Amino acid sequence: MTLAAVSDAGPLIHLAEIDSLELLATFNTLLVPETVYEELEAGDVPDELSALPFELVKADENGVESEELDAGERAALAVALRRELVLLTDDLAARKTASDAGVEVHGSIGIIALGYGRGLIDRGQAASLMHALQRETSLFVTEAVVERGIRMLDEQ
Amino acid sequence: MAAEISDRVRAIAKARDLPESEVFERALERGLEELWEDLVLAQYLDGELDREDAIEHVGRTKVERAERERAAVEEDVDWGLNA
Repeated sequence: MTLAAVSDAGPLIHLAEIDSLELLATFNTLLVPETVYEELEAGDVPDELSALPFELVKADENGVESEELDAGERAALAVALRRELVLLTDDLAARKTASDAGVEVHGSIGIIALGYGRGLIDRGQAASLMHALQRETSLFVTEAVVERGIRMLDEQ
Repeated sequence: MAAEISDRVRAIAKARDLPESEVFERALERGLEELWEDLVLAQYLDGELDREDAIEHVGRTKVERAERERAAVEEDVDWGLNA
């Protein structure tokens, strides 16, 4: 199946923090809104990002209004809506807004599972990365929830 | 890591004008609280503790957030394995 997605800053930062940005190469098309890239530039753009075949795009945010979302999240959602792409975000509010708007949305845990599902990493690596995501990154996710995700790797 | 902990304990003790033993005691209390919340949420998500008891132990906000996270992670893993 062809996979096309647009990402906000969250998964790009969190996957970089566990040295796993290359998992995003699973996507046939990966778009990054300019607003999101500017957010990354305000911190440190992960070095590994330059090795990924992503496309910088402008976002037309007309029709995307949510005070709960930051500029990057709104831009990524706008691109996902207009181009009918999967939205990649780790923000629960962005996830709900996108889902309510009919956009398919997934986060860093899903990208790790995707890497496992497509054979880029084995089960042990996937579990290890999920643990690292919870313990070593700026992503807040409850430990017990990550354990549930790891168990699901064995159930399917 | 041990040196970093010692440095931080000394820095906090100095900045807060506390004995280092008090800093260690507070750190233990905070760490224990976090581990306790992890345990309660794990037991709730695994069906070993009912929702009202979990809310009583860690508060509604944390339980509801864990529920939203669980739904997101389950959706994500299911998608990742089948996309």
